[in-house]
Amino acid sequence: MLSLYRKLLRLYPAEHRELFGEEMIAVLVQEREEHASRKRTARARLALREIAGLASGALQEHVRVRFQFRDGLSLYDGRFTMRNGFRFPKSTAVLMTIILAGVIIAIRKGEVIATTLPPFSQPVTPIHPAHSYLLPGVIEGILFFYAAGLAGWAIVFALRRSGVHRLADMSDQRQ
Amino acid sequence: MALYGMSPQAINDKLPLSEPVLLILVSLATEPQHGYAILKDVERMSGGRVVLSTGTLYGALRRLLDDAWIERYEDEDTSRGKQAYRLTTQGRRNLQLEIDRLKQLTRLASLRVAVKER
Repeated sequence: MLSLYRKLLRLYPAEHRELFGEEMIAVLVQEREEHASRKRTARARLALREIAGLASGALQEHVRVRFQFRDGLSLYDGRFTMRNGFRFPKSTAVLMTIILAGVIIAIRKGEVIATTLPPFSQPVTPIHPAHSYLLPGVIEGILFFYAAGLAGWAIVFALRRSGVHRLADMSDQRQ
Repeated sequence: MALYGMSPQAINDKLPLSEPVLLILVSLATEPQHGYAILKDVERMSGGRVVLSTGTLYGALRRLLDDAWIERYEDEDTSRGKQAYRLTTQGRRNLQLEIDRLKQLTRLASLRVAVKER
């Protein structure tokens, strides 16, 4: 089992292994010795807990090193560390208001159209499949929204307000 | 507006602590401890509810060291591969802030619950 722990320790970044590797092995040895006289289920629970802990710990350390998160997937508050302002910027409220206004206007227009239509429509003629007309429109729509999203992200990036910049700012502030 | 007697920025940056981190800090509040001793102390203090794995413990210790809440402490066991850790002044201050926050919270909760029961 100890050899497995050592292998799992290799998953950690080299710096972490250098700093804590031997200490961690010493703790694991003590844990194993303490559980040696216990039931098989207790020993299995320990092994599972340690394997899962080492694997998730290695992942967190890599995230911390790779993305320069000082807290990694933080234990300080038991959740992925994101500031309130980052999760829900004030500009979102403005955008949501605009979208809501658009929806209300669309509903009103729909009501106006409905009231202006004659009460009895002409008999409906057979409707033929219109895939050939719809498909290009759908594709154009997707492309339009994709391009709009890309342009929006480019603007946000140029203003240094993208997620990457915000995370970098948070990191700088904490240093 | 100050909440729990601290600026919102201070709370946002440091608090609240997760239970494992709080227990690790409490474990170090009285005297320096080695990794294994912290592990066992946390388990004991929580009545067996919080059982840390070695990976979780050293992840937390790493961040606490980086933030200078704890520091390495040299003693006779250090040479035998057991590294001790102790709270720094900043770590002790932040732990006290968290305790104050929890006190305020429990006081408020107790009052509200008492009012509801009347």
